[in-house]
Amino acid sequence: MSFLFRLAARSAWNRRLTLALMMLAIALSSAMLLGIERVRHEVRASFSQSVSGTDLVVGARTSPIQLMLYAIFRIGGATNNMGWDSAQKLAKNPAVAWTIPLSLGDSHRGFPVLATNGDYFRHFHYGDGQALQLAQGQAFNDIFDTVLGAEVAQRLHYKLGDHIVLSHGMGGMHLTDHADKPFVITGILARTGTPVDRTVHIGLDAMEAIHLDWQGGARIPGLSIKAELVKKFDLTPKTVTAVLVGLHNRAAVFGLQRDIADDTSEPLMAVLPGVALDELWQVVGIGENALLVVSGMVVIVGLAGLVSAILASLGERRRELAVLRSVGARPFDIFLLLALEGLAVMLAGVLLGVILLTLALCALAPMLSAQFGVTLHPSFPAVGELQLLLWTIIAGFVASLLPGLRAYRLSLADGLTPRL
Amino acid sequence: MKSITWIGGIVAAGLLVGYSLRLVATPAAAKPAALVAAMDATDSTPYKVGDHLQQSPDLVQSPYKPSNKSGDAFKEIAWESLIPKNWDAMAPFKGLKLDKMEDGDPRAVEALLKAKQYWKNAPIDPSMDGASVRIPGFVVSLEREGESLKEFLLVPYFGACIHVPPPPANQIIHVHSAKPVKDIRTMDAVWIDGVLKVERSDTMMGSAGYSMTSVKVEPYVDNSNQ
Repeated sequence: MSFLFRLAARSAWNRRLTLALMMLAIALSSAMLLGIERVRHEVRASFSQSVSGTDLVVGARTSPIQLMLYAIFRIGGATNNMGWDSAQKLAKNPAVAWTIPLSLGDSHRGFPVLATNGDYFRHFHYGDGQALQLAQGQAFNDIFDTVLGAEVAQRLHYKLGDHIVLSHGMGGMHLTDHADKPFVITGILARTGTPVDRTVHIGLDAMEAIHLDWQGGARIPGLSIKAELVKKFDLTPKTVTAVLVGLHNRAAVFGLQRDIADDTSEPLMAVLPGVALDELWQVVGIGENALLVVSGMVVIVGLAGLVSAILASLGERRRELAVLRSVGARPFDIFLLLALEGLAVMLAGVLLGVILLTLALCALAPMLSAQFGVTLHPSFPAVGELQLLLWTIIAGFVASLLPGLRAYRLSLADGLTPRL
Repeated sequence: MKSITWIGGIVAAGLLVGYSLRLVATPAAAKPAALVAAMDATDSTPYKVGDHLQQSPDLVQSPYKPSNKSGDAFKEIAWESLIPKNWDAMAPFKGLKLDKMEDGDPRAVEALLKAKQYWKNAPIDPSMDGASVRIPGFVVSLEREGESLKEFLLVPYFGACIHVPPPPANQIIHVHSAKPVKDIRTMDAVWIDGVLKVERSDTMMGSAGYSMTSVKVEPYVDNSNQ
């Protein structure tokens, strides 16, 4: 048996270029399959890590998924705001333990600006119930104070005490800046691995203040209210985008949800984050399955390439195999030789694929986390992924038995007789 | 001729590979059924809004009796056992002759509003504290750890959270799973084994309720007709 191994290895070394190409095809296709599976799981995990301990997300009526996307994940824009009086009424509800008002819409160099109050730093939790931690400085005290997420501070090289200018609306352009009212960075949050890292936090009163001289959707020419003077105005917010609600007793969530939906003073909607996420995965699941099917097809194409390459190589190896037969190798030995080679190429290819994927993840992870807010960790394949890989190897092995079977049936004379 | 056989073989192998990949990729537990389920993947749930899970009828009629040796065996109970035995659901309508009233009678409307409030604040049964029970219900996700569910609400009927008025406090169990459960989503039907705990709370709005640390969570299978 060990003799067969040596023989297979020597023979393979002789044809190393062809085999290396085959291995590369297998590696690329299995890396793709694994990569899609990995991204799918990481995206789900990172989404469900983004919020914890929040019982309801309340906002203007829209799709529950949409509300979650813009209020929690900062993806897309709000369709409508809710009145501040409704938010305050909610906070006074005896079943409610805490509320966090959120106001969105502005941006700073492409990063979303979130206006909130001190309750955000006290009550917002993420991951496994962790609270937000300030890496440097403190939460905002004065009106034009701002607290940055870790990613914002790192990418734009900001430090405490720096002045920044917010832009009206989303988008990275500096066309409509709130340049007359700069903000001071008073705090930088510790890294969380959630959308909080990409957020610039300001106070609700500051959000109101920078929009004082904006009426009817544009800055009024000639009207400019100086930053020092804004405190003379009423800075109570009129609207907020959404309110996060925590309850004393989580089982009371349906009752409050119904109360909010039935409230006749303002049409509002309350969403259970866990339920909305499950709904989101149901929608996304269709696309994910399509991706998996496509990557499955890529693997099949790779395997078909493997089989055809081995079959083609049988022609080249006719002499080699016939010589082996003539010195006493049984047809079954020839079969084993080819099966062994197929298995080895599959194993090496899949292993190479895992290494390729890990390298690619290491290289791309910072870009992905900055662009899409998805943190990918290069890690050992999980159980589900190992299962996928195992199936790929088995399928490849079975496919490589076909050329082996053909070689098994080739007669000795066929290989030794020169054909023209 | 031989080459055609080979091509056929390769195609067959490819199909085999594709099928097995599909089975692996489909997350459902039952492998052959997964293919059928995938056909109507968007709406594969067998339940309609308002559906209850089936339990044997004698269980519903005979209320839960606490056994002397607690803790070892999980006794199957019905959701009705969570309502105190002496609580009268029709109490708000007492003294009203409903059959003599017109539709939209202000007294009836008022009574209905009162009844809604009364049902919402339905009391819990303190004697259920510490009972080891086994109960079927639908899951409403609360907290996840990675992709596994570790905290959820269990409700007695399908669609409890969205489509119909919410169940009263005594028909909701707040479950902390002992170890995170995989592959469970909102409105999946499960069996749960665990020890009930009565949560008392001094806030108004009847926020007392049941909670449970589940020992075992398993997919619901209808065993009443087997």
